Amino acid sequence: MGMLSVQGITKRFGGLTAVDAVSFEVHEGTIHAIIGPNGAGKSTAFNLLTGFEKPDAGTVSFEGATITGMRPHRIVRLGLVRTFQNTVLFDDMTVLENVLVGMHVRTRAGFIGSALALPRVRTEERLAAEEAHRLLRLVDLGEVADARAGDLPHGRRRLLEIARALGSRPRLMLLDEPAAGLNNAETAQLAETLRRVRDSGVTIVVVEHDMGLVMDVSDEIVVLNEGRKIAEGPPLLIQKDPAVIEAYLGEEAVDA
Amino acid sequence: MAAVPATRTLRWALAAIAGGLVLAAPFVVTDKYLLRILTFVGINLIMVAGLSLLFGYAGQISLGHAAFYGLGAYTSGFLAKLGVAWPLALVAGVAAAALGGLLLALPSLRLKGHYLAMATLGFGEIMLFFFTETEVITGGSNGLRGIPPAGLGPLVADTPQTKYLLVWAVACVVLLLAANVVRRRPGRALRAIHGSEMAAQACGIDTVRMKVQVFVISAALGGLSGVLYAHYVGFISPSTFTLHYSLVLVTMVALGGMGSLAGAVAGTVLLTMLPYADAIIPGLSRATVELLQDWESDIHGMVLILVMLFMPGGLAGWGRSFLARISVRRARSAGGDA
Ligand SMILES: Nc1ncnc2c1ncn2[C@@H]1O[C@H](COP(=O)(O)OP(=O)(O)OP(=O)(O)O)[C@@H](O)[C@H]1O
Ligand SMILES: [Mg+2]
Repeated sequence: MGMLSVQGITKRFGGLTAVDAVSFEVHEGTIHAIIGPNGAGKSTAFNLLTGFEKPDAGTVSFEGATITGMRPHRIVRLGLVRTFQNTVLFDDMTVLENVLVGMHVRTRAGFIGSALALPRVRTEERLAAEEAHRLLRLVDLGEVADARAGDLPHGRRRLLEIARALGSRPRLMLLDEPAAGLNNAETAQLAETLRRVRDSGVTIVVVEHDMGLVMDVSDEIVVLNEGRKIAEGPPLLIQKDPAVIEAYLGEEAVDA
Repeated sequence: MAAVPATRTLRWALAAIAGGLVLAAPFVVTDKYLLRILTFVGINLIMVAGLSLLFGYAGQISLGHAAFYGLGAYTSGFLAKLGVAWPLALVAGVAAAALGGLLLALPSLRLKGHYLAMATLGFGEIMLFFFTETEVITGGSNGLRGIPPAGLGPLVADTPQTKYLLVWAVACVVLLLAANVVRRRPGRALRAIHGSEMAAQACGIDTVRMKVQVFVISAALGGLSGVLYAHYVGFISPSTFTLHYSLVLVTMVALGGMGSLAGAVAGTVLLTMLPYADAIIPGLSRATVELLQDWESDIHGMVLILVMLFMPGGLAGWGRSFLARISVRRARSAGGDA
């Protein structure tokens, strides 16, 4: 069994079945991609895996524990973390502080300990700041640590959101369209960052429209269309899959 | 980069100067009227420290904090009149306010924005009704008279100077503790909740628990402030614990600037002293002071609206851009290599 095991998850919004009995497994140490046309249910699937939406049916288990219906912060504590399609940062905080918030589950200082500035708390704060700087260097944001997050350009915001997610030291990271709005150079840097993160021991599931990036980095691809899984396999097979081509051609025909 | 140590030194220097002034005041100020107003500033600061955490940092509005002020004041005043020692009455007053805060927070912090405002407003009105109607305990609209001054055994704070020192000692400790909280993990979590609850949850923050905690803390500080008030003035009546007071408190935080404790302190000092401007500005005519006092509520309302419209960063926002300008100028005069 995989690190993440998704079995028959379903989510309905009124008459619309956004995710329809989807099952897949994610194996440790891989980069897994979820692709599909707009409205296929990819983001909804992420919401179901991370506790932001409750499934109408199906189960999700992560490293042997059933996490279906758990509240989001508890899932993060277990080591499963996510980013958002539309990058949600804490704009009024600094870049460094954003990563420190990402480290919330790995630090412990509460109101009382912090108010009294206990030695344990001071040490923890110092170590956390060091670690946060290290994570920022990992995504090449080291030199803007003290900038206001809201002042960063788009490409760097996406990287910061990844650094913040890494702050929890996750076992599995779900990224929702990390390359959206990035130029070619930034996308190349992102691919490099993803591999670096994977090599540091974090398993990755990425939802992405940029097929170049998907084919480049992923070991395994799940294809969704209208809420249903229509294909699954390694990049080379997915590219040739008739059902996948059909789904994407259908989309282009509609777009035209 | 040079800007960071520069502002830090400046901050410490300002804090040291402020501390010295606070300590020296009762020995220098001979005007009892002014000392009384300064004591009220200290009482309000304790309340606003809590409200700053709740509203300024976590972004959770409360329009009912006067109720916690009242809970602290009546509980402690009532018990002290029965002969309970002040420290015990104080603990009971703070506990009553904290409990009230918990009971209100548990159901209402799942609410957002306007609903939370409505729930806290309703709570404030209910408590006001309770303060007015339960005459046996509160003395009804006639109020509770003859509350003994604060004291511990033979030490009794019964002169204007000792009362002032007691209030400000507590205020300084509370502000120091709050300042320690806001720049560490819990402070960051509160600001994260203000920024985006969804993203805060995605960072592993238990947002509901955090909001309940900070609400209870702010209620407890409101209670503490109310206890000190009751034993300072010796007489309390419902007219003190109104929606107007709750709104003034919110205005103090907003004027100071969201997410800034120092700003909230400045806002509190300014708005508390405003109606008594004659005590610090000697030449002020009687008519001007009367005007300020007559229009007090309208001025507060206007300040709130003006701040929201024209200076969303509050006084702290001004302070920050001022410091930024200084450090830019410094960097330039240092040869522009920064
Ligand atoms: N909260 C919601 N309420 C109602 N409908 C929703 C909700 N969230 C998503 N949907 C619908 O569910 C379907 C799947 O949406 P989802 O956002 O998961 O698609 P997606 O695959 O992420 O698309 P995209 O590539 O555009 O991001 C869409 O038809 C969408 O309109
Ligand atoms: Mg999506």
